[in-house]
Amino acid sequence: MNPETKTPLVRLAKREAMEPWKAWCIRIGSILLALVLGGLLIAALGKNPLAAYGTILDGSLGRASALRQTAKIAIPLLGTALAIAPCFKMRFWNIGAEGQITAGAIAASYFALFWVDKVPSALLLVIMGLSGALAGGLWALIPAFFKARWNTNETLFTLMMNYIIIGVVRWLQGGPWEGRPGSQIIPQFDSAACLPKVFGVHCGWIIVLILVVFIYIYMRYTKHGYEIAVIGDSVNTARYAGMNVGRVIMRTMFLSGAISGLVGFIVASGADNTLHDGVAAGVGFTAITVAWLAQLNPFAMIAISGMLAILSKGADTLHTRMDVPASISDIITGMLLFCMLGCEFFINYRLIFRGGKSSPEAPDGKEAVKHA
Amino acid sequence: MKKFLALLLSLAMLFAMAACGDSGSNTQEPTGNNQGSTDDGGEETGNKTIKVGMICIGDENDQGYTYNFIRGVDATTEHLAQRGIDVEWVFKYNILEDSSCEEANIELAEEGCQIIINNSFGFEPYMLKVAPDYPEITFIACTNQASAVDDLENTHNAFANIYEGRYLAGVAAGMKMQEMIDSGEITADQAKIGYVGAFSFAEVISGFTAYYLGAKSVCPSVSMEVQFVGSWSDATEEGNAASALADRGCIMISQHSDNTTPATTAQSKGVFHTGYNNDMISVAPEASIIGTRIDWSVYFDYAIETIVNGEPLDQDWCHGMDAGAVVMTPLNEDIAAAGTAEKLAEVEEAIRSGELQVFDTSTFTVDGQEVTSCLAIDTDGDFVADSEEAVFDGAFHESYFQSAPYFTLQIDGIEWLNDAY
Repeated sequence: MNPETKTPLVRLAKREAMEPWKAWCIRIGSILLALVLGGLLIAALGKNPLAAYGTILDGSLGRASALRQTAKIAIPLLGTALAIAPCFKMRFWNIGAEGQITAGAIAASYFALFWVDKVPSALLLVIMGLSGALAGGLWALIPAFFKARWNTNETLFTLMMNYIIIGVVRWLQGGPWEGRPGSQIIPQFDSAACLPKVFGVHCGWIIVLILVVFIYIYMRYTKHGYEIAVIGDSVNTARYAGMNVGRVIMRTMFLSGAISGLVGFIVASGADNTLHDGVAAGVGFTAITVAWLAQLNPFAMIAISGMLAILSKGADTLHTRMDVPASISDIITGMLLFCMLGCEFFINYRLIFRGGKSSPEAPDGKEAVKHA
Repeated sequence: MKKFLALLLSLAMLFAMAACGDSGSNTQEPTGNNQGSTDDGGEETGNKTIKVGMICIGDENDQGYTYNFIRGVDATTEHLAQRGIDVEWVFKYNILEDSSCEEANIELAEEGCQIIINNSFGFEPYMLKVAPDYPEITFIACTNQASAVDDLENTHNAFANIYEGRYLAGVAAGMKMQEMIDSGEITADQAKIGYVGAFSFAEVISGFTAYYLGAKSVCPSVSMEVQFVGSWSDATEEGNAASALADRGCIMISQHSDNTTPATTAQSKGVFHTGYNNDMISVAPEASIIGTRIDWSVYFDYAIETIVNGEPLDQDWCHGMDAGAVVMTPLNEDIAAAGTAEKLAEVEEAIRSGELQVFDTSTFTVDGQEVTSCLAIDTDGDFVADSEEAVFDGAFHESYFQSAPYFTLQIDGIEWLNDAY
């Protein structure tokens, strides 16, 4: 048998750990590549790419008011990325954060609308936050229960749960909670039910920063965090070690849903001051990207969600000042994420070309780097 | 290792080249950027300049609601240029009715817009969060109503008496049906209108009631069924609703929703249609008789000129055919009943002069009774009208106390097929 003919054109091989500085060079290179590609796109529209990037930075960070808007966009992204991190660590693919946020927002809105005269503002906000967390947690517990009990597919299950809860909001909007008849709009909350502002941004940012520390400690230094890591690596090992896998799955999902629900409360009470069917606004999905890019590290999530918020707010200004369609910025964001996620692949694997001189034992993986 | 460095270098070069390559077009940019800051310099040419922000729920591609606003914007730019005012428009398209609308308002305020116009009903609450921070900027919420009660000097509302245009469209529809009855094509009780409505919202109810009354004024045997679709813009559902109405025996379709699918469905079902927001004859030449739309340029002309001249702007503006703010789209002479154009001109004149009241209480009943009293305005925020008697001088006065419509009576002769929305 001739090995030459049997070898495919390109093979993948797991790479030995790469020196960190090299990995970072590749990461930075991938970002630059994405910026160049995005620049070409802007140039193709007849705009100046440098001016466009300048506008993005200026529009998102250049002024105090811009900075506040950027922070406001980053808050739910960061909070939700933190929420799904434990699930993903456990290899439980919770793509239902969108619905869990919505469930939390519904519960918080109930108290905002109907308890506002009954309790003082501070207590009301606490009740709203707790009820939001509880509702999000319970909504997440449903797929977790089915997974633990009958091993159902959590990806599909959590995804489908999103549409159910969004339907519930639509019903509330047009039915029992509707303001002006026929408007489909729930009235704005009383100011007592709105999160107070700190430095001009609703204080949700403080809550999510506390959550960053909490999740970091929870994942790294607690027994729960350890159990999650073990289940993520091998369910059988976890069983052998005597862990009750089903219980851990349900507990972790409840926590994840509760944090998402809290984010729902923050968005409804802090940002929108009302409830509507788009309360989650796709954050539940974007947060998955944030969590992955940060490699589930809570502190890295601050940077990643900040970066996405800068792009999002900057694109808004780009739209205003240079008349670049808002969808172009989505394309640029997509390119950036694609390049960044793609480079992680080349950091972990290398390509071996047929007929190439390199063997899997190549001294420092030169060949593979070339194609990165 | 060498290869790795080479790769890094080449990437860096690529980046540098891309950066240099673009500097050629650099020269164009500063002129564009400086425009905002040279607003005051406009005096040299004798023209005054003003920067106006426009926040839209859609974009021109909807060929309906937002498209109609953009037509108004274009016309206003032209009108005001002739009067020595240069308007620089800044658009925000496809904005949602959530906190991103608040961001859009802040964004435009920070960009130096002196007037910011919000084109959708649901934008107002978010606009109101921004308005107090920028007292020198004029904020306008079209179709909404809070400026009367929000205690802010710089917030304004505007709408047009679109029910007048609906009434005329109804007259055109009624004449067509009466002609069909007279020629024996249909019997008198087959004169049934199917109306595709977005929601059971005052603006919609007021519109289809006016339409029905217009039709009834020339075709006494007419009846009407309304199907609500639960969305302002859902092309598929609007088409389905029109289709269902045609199947129920409606021979005339009209709509208060954003898409042209009711028109195309009417054509494929072999029934007639009258449109809204846009001339729909091009998409349904065999079905669409006429349409009506608001000409926003009338208000934009007024508002922008007033602000430029430093005069006070009405907090709540509403005009109709009297000011040309409501107009009819071209009549489809090929299918309209004979004499329609003359009749429409006559009715339009009667509305304009105030001789004809659209909601004349002698022309309709509610539960068999003539309406003698109906409150218009909600002042305490519970969404139930509690003040201002709308019925006087023998008519219900729509958009009289505030620009936003408040007619919500369910009159006899109009059947609501679903009121879930």
